[in-house]
Amino acid sequence: MTPRLKAVPLRRSGVKEKILHIDRLSKGFHTANGYVSVLDNVRFQAEGGELIAILGRSGCGKSTLLKIVGGFIPPGSGKVLLNGSPVRSPGPDRCVIFQEDALFPWLTVQENIAFGLRGQKQDKRSKAHQVERFLGLVGLSEFRDYLPRALSGGMKQRVALARVLILQPQVLLMDEPFASLDAQSREEMQNLLLSLWQELGHTILFVTHDVSEAVILADRILLMDKSPGRIREEIGLNLLRPRERESGALLDFSRRLHQALRD
Amino acid sequence: MKPMDERNRKGAWALLPWAIPCTFLFSWCMVSAAGLVPRYLLPDPLHIAGTGYSYIFGTPEAGPYAGRFLNDAGASLLRVGCGFALAVAIGLPLGILSGRLWVFQRLMGTTVNALRAVPGITWLPLALVWFGIGMKTTVFLVALAAFFPIFLNAAAGARQVNPLLLQAGAMMGVRRLRGTFAILLPGAMPNLMTGLRLGLGISWAYLVLGELTGVPNGLGAVIMDARMLGRIDMIVVGIIVIAIIGRVSDQLLQSGMKFCFKSAGRMA
Repeated sequence: MTPRLKAVPLRRSGVKEKILHIDRLSKGFHTANGYVSVLDNVRFQAEGGELIAILGRSGCGKSTLLKIVGGFIPPGSGKVLLNGSPVRSPGPDRCVIFQEDALFPWLTVQENIAFGLRGQKQDKRSKAHQVERFLGLVGLSEFRDYLPRALSGGMKQRVALARVLILQPQVLLMDEPFASLDAQSREEMQNLLLSLWQELGHTILFVTHDVSEAVILADRILLMDKSPGRIREEIGLNLLRPRERESGALLDFSRRLHQALRD
Repeated sequence: MKPMDERNRKGAWALLPWAIPCTFLFSWCMVSAAGLVPRYLLPDPLHIAGTGYSYIFGTPEAGPYAGRFLNDAGASLLRVGCGFALAVAIGLPLGILSGRLWVFQRLMGTTVNALRAVPGITWLPLALVWFGIGMKTTVFLVALAAFFPIFLNAAAGARQVNPLLLQAGAMMGVRRLRGTFAILLPGAMPNLMTGLRLGLGISWAYLVLGELTGVPNGLGAVIMDARMLGRIDMIVVGIIVIAIIGRVSDQLLQSGMKFCFKSAGRMA
C-alpha cells in the first residue's frame, strides 16, 4: 500500500506555476528609539517546487519576512498570497523549520513525527504507514523511541523536517535551520534536504547568512540589504544537480556573493 | 552520569532512603533503654509499636483506641480527598488561564496574593461559624490551603511553556482547544506536578487542623483526644500514621500522573 499523497505540482514539467506571491511587503516596529523599518517593499514570486535562498546579513529582516509568510505576524502593508488567497494565520500548507529546537520534549521521535496527523481523518494503518515512511526518509527508524533530549542537534532537525513534511506542505519555510550545527552535520543535512526536496517536490524558502549554503542549495538567490530590508538582487543559479561543492562555477558564484554582501 | 532509575534499582542504593529513619529509631531505642528521658514524655519504641498494633488491628483487652484505625483513616482520607479534589478543580483551570491570558492575570493576581498572605489557620474560626464542626469545615480548610500552590504553579507553568512549541502546533494545524490539551498542559507538566504535590502535602497539614476541633473521628481527632487523655504513645502513633499515609499518597499521586500522562513520566 502506498500512502496517499496530495497532488503536488511537478517541477520542471513544462509550465511552471507561480504559487506564492509576495507583494510590496513592508513591516516596521515601534521601539524606544522611534519607528524602525525592517522590511521595505519586498516583492517576489515563487514557482511550485522552487528552492529559493534568501541571503543576507543578520538583522536584515529575513527572519521577519519568513514569519510573515508563515502567518505568525501580520504584514505592515502589502500582502502574501498562496495560490491566490491571502495568508492570515499559520497553517499546515506553510510549515516552518525553526532555528532552535521546537520538538515536543515529552514525545518520542516517532510520536513527534505523528503529531500533525492526530487531528486528521485517516485510518490508523495509513497514518502508521506514513510515519514509517518519513522515519525512513530522514534515516531515524532506529531512533524512533528516543526522546528529543537524547538526540544530537542534527538528528533533532531531521525529526523537525519529518514532522512537517508528513503534512505535505506546499511551502517549506526554513529559518537558518542548520546554523547551529557543526560543519559536517550541516553538509549532511543539506544533502538530506536536497534529496527530500527532489522526492517530495515542495517549494522551499530557505533563509541563511551562509553564502556557500545558499549556493549549494538554491535555484534562485534573493540577496537582501540591511535596514531597511529590501531585495537588492535576484540571482538565478542554472547549475546542474547534484552540485559539486568545490566546483569552479560554484566558487565563482560564492566569490561574487561574498563581494556583494560586503558592499 | 547514570540515569536516576538505574541507580534506584541497584541493591545497596535501595536501602539509602531508610538510613535516616533507622538511625533515628536506633538512637531512640538507646535513649529509652538508658532511661535518659522519662516515659511520660517519650515512651519507648516497643510500647509505641504495641499501641500502633492495637490501634490498627484491635486487641482483646480493647483500650479506647483499639481497632479504630480503618474508621479514622477512612474519614481523614475522604476529607483530604474532597478538599484536594476541590482545590484541583478550581486551582488548575484558573491557574492556567491566568498564566496564559493577561486579563485573568490582571483580574486575579492581586486577590489571590492578598488571600495568600492570610495564614490558613486564621480561617478556622470563621469556618467553624459557617460550617460547624466536622466534614465541611475540614474540607473547606484543606481546599483553601491546597488551592494556592496549585494555582500559582499552574500559572507559572503555563506562562513558561516555550512559545515555539505553541507556534509549531499552530503551523501544524492545531487549534486552540486541542493545543491546550496536546501542547500547553504537557509543556507545563513539571510545574503542574510540583503544584499538585505541594497541594497534597499541605492538605494533610490542614486536615489535622480541621480535625483538632472536636470531630469524633479522623487521625487529627485521635491525636487531640490522646493529648487530653495523656496518651503520649497514641499521639506518636498518630504522627507516624500521618507521615506514612502522606508519603504513600504523594507516591501514588506521582505514579498515577505518570501512568495517565506521558509528559509527567518523561519530563520529571
